[in-house]
Amino acid sequence: MPHRMVQDFATPVLRNVDLGRGNWLLEFPAEGVAAAMRPAQFFMIGVPGSDVLLRRPFSVCGLPGTFADRPDGAVQILYRVYGRGTALLASLRAGATVQVLGPLGRGFTPPSRPDARIVLVAGGIGSAPFPAFLAELERSGRRATMIYGARTAGDLPLLDWFRERCDGVSVTTDDGTLGARGVVTDPLAEMLQDADGGRVHVYACGPSPMLAAVAKATLAKGVACDLSLEAPMACGFGVCLGCVVPTRREGGAIAYERVCVEGPVMRAERLAW
Amino acid sequence: MVTPDLAVDVGTVRLKNPVLTASGTFGYGLEFLPFLKLSELGGIVTKGLSPKPRRGNPPQRIVETPAGMLNAIGLQNVGVDAFLSEKLPALREHDTAVVANVFGETEAEYVEVCEKLDGAPGLAAIELNVSCPNTEAGGMIFGNDPAALARVTRACRRAARMPLWVKLSPNVTDIREVARAAEAEGADALSLVNTFVGMSVDVLKARPVLANVSGGLSGPAIRPLAVWMTWQVRRAVQVPIIGMGGIMTARDAMEFILAGATAVQVGTANFVAPRAAVDVAEGLAAWLTLHGIGSIRELTGTLR
Repeated sequence: MPHRMVQDFATPVLRNVDLGRGNWLLEFPAEGVAAAMRPAQFFMIGVPGSDVLLRRPFSVCGLPGTFADRPDGAVQILYRVYGRGTALLASLRAGATVQVLGPLGRGFTPPSRPDARIVLVAGGIGSAPFPAFLAELERSGRRATMIYGARTAGDLPLLDWFRERCDGVSVTTDDGTLGARGVVTDPLAEMLQDADGGRVHVYACGPSPMLAAVAKATLAKGVACDLSLEAPMACGFGVCLGCVVPTRREGGAIAYERVCVEGPVMRAERLAW
Repeated sequence: MVTPDLAVDVGTVRLKNPVLTASGTFGYGLEFLPFLKLSELGGIVTKGLSPKPRRGNPPQRIVETPAGMLNAIGLQNVGVDAFLSEKLPALREHDTAVVANVFGETEAEYVEVCEKLDGAPGLAAIELNVSCPNTEAGGMIFGNDPAALARVTRACRRAARMPLWVKLSPNVTDIREVARAAEAEGADALSLVNTFVGMSVDVLKARPVLANVSGGLSGPAIRPLAVWMTWQVRRAVQVPIIGMGGIMTARDAMEFILAGATAVQVGTANFVAPRAAVDVAEGLAAWLTLHGIGSIRELTGTLR
């Protein structure tokens, strides 16, 4: 159980890189936890002494080895300035201190079938967990195809990095400023059209409406699909019960399960959207 | 150096230190074992227990607000039976006072849960949640009306012989009235305060942020309100008070203790830092040492 290894630690910011249009990459040392962390697991990150009360959840973007030339033991998170918490984070410079709790939650697991075709579907900042996952797949000699969508061309952080490492990245934008005008489920539907359903495994992260559409498309084809969910949460370790999503139990009863403990990665068929 | 004496007595319940964790912010205690020893705490108060498991409210359930947060969890809990068979046996292994928070939609439900809990080995006290603002049939109707509160307290007093604490709602005109009603019907101690009813609006969507529309406000934002109510109730009743509302540090806990609280509960701070309640207890010990005070009991209600 990853929970045994959860640590709450203060650590200095190594870098906080402005990727443009409100997208940032924060890097900090996490020697004690990085080795045990899985792609799509997450941290709760706070800034000591600030007047933002609660920490915010961020999935790990880069683990040691994900990005070339980064220091051993350092991890990265990719985030987008959205509210007070992320604006505060973006104001930090190298040397500032962050308070970090993690690793938390259940991350991605590679498909058990060695011949599975892996498709990553990202919506904007939802690409955050995929670098670490791609690096892990690469280490075991596996490749992935990516579908990467956003509202507009500038909202596709790390696109060049993904292009170098994937067997093709299909880009979609709502406004057509890059790639095909449309949404991620357009190229996904094409890919699934003539795919052998049992051989494809989709991993998706992005806004909830996108995840719901991806879930629908994959379920209709009997394709395995893991979703990395996001929800407002106060604690990140299972006690506030603030981050629940509706899930379907055997027999059809609806339950509420915690994104922070039962997720953030959940199988598409479990969700009762 | 003499080790400072942090032990307090909440009626007949002896706590090794005056710091408990507030209901709804500490799960069933076991969730915190990766971070602390439960024996470092004076006690823990469980998530509110109802006769049957409850799945709670639909999301969105929480939102941060200035110096605080709103929650509308809707008392999602495992139910009293699962608590007794699965959680309490595990909690018994730990040297801390375990307090079961009890919630019902009707007086009969409160009584049912109290009867099941009464005398359970390893349980130190029952805390009645008569003040949850987040359920439709709400406990709050009991907490808002002194007569209704008196009835449910009386019924639970008959149903349970073990120490009975009543957790008061701050959503009243005069908290002293409900405090007196609970005391008159046999409450052994009063916990105060629960959350303040509030609401947050998503101005872009022109909708309430919380699916439940309203939620309970907690965190440092409510601390001055809670300290004031502690001070008012201290002068209105004789039974011990367990004070709470936005306690983040030992200094904050001292406000409640000086204003008349025998013990305190740490709530929202547990979400921010899992060791927050232990840090408060250690901070109180340091405070006593620093000021050369032998026992925390010398400070209770000594506001000048």
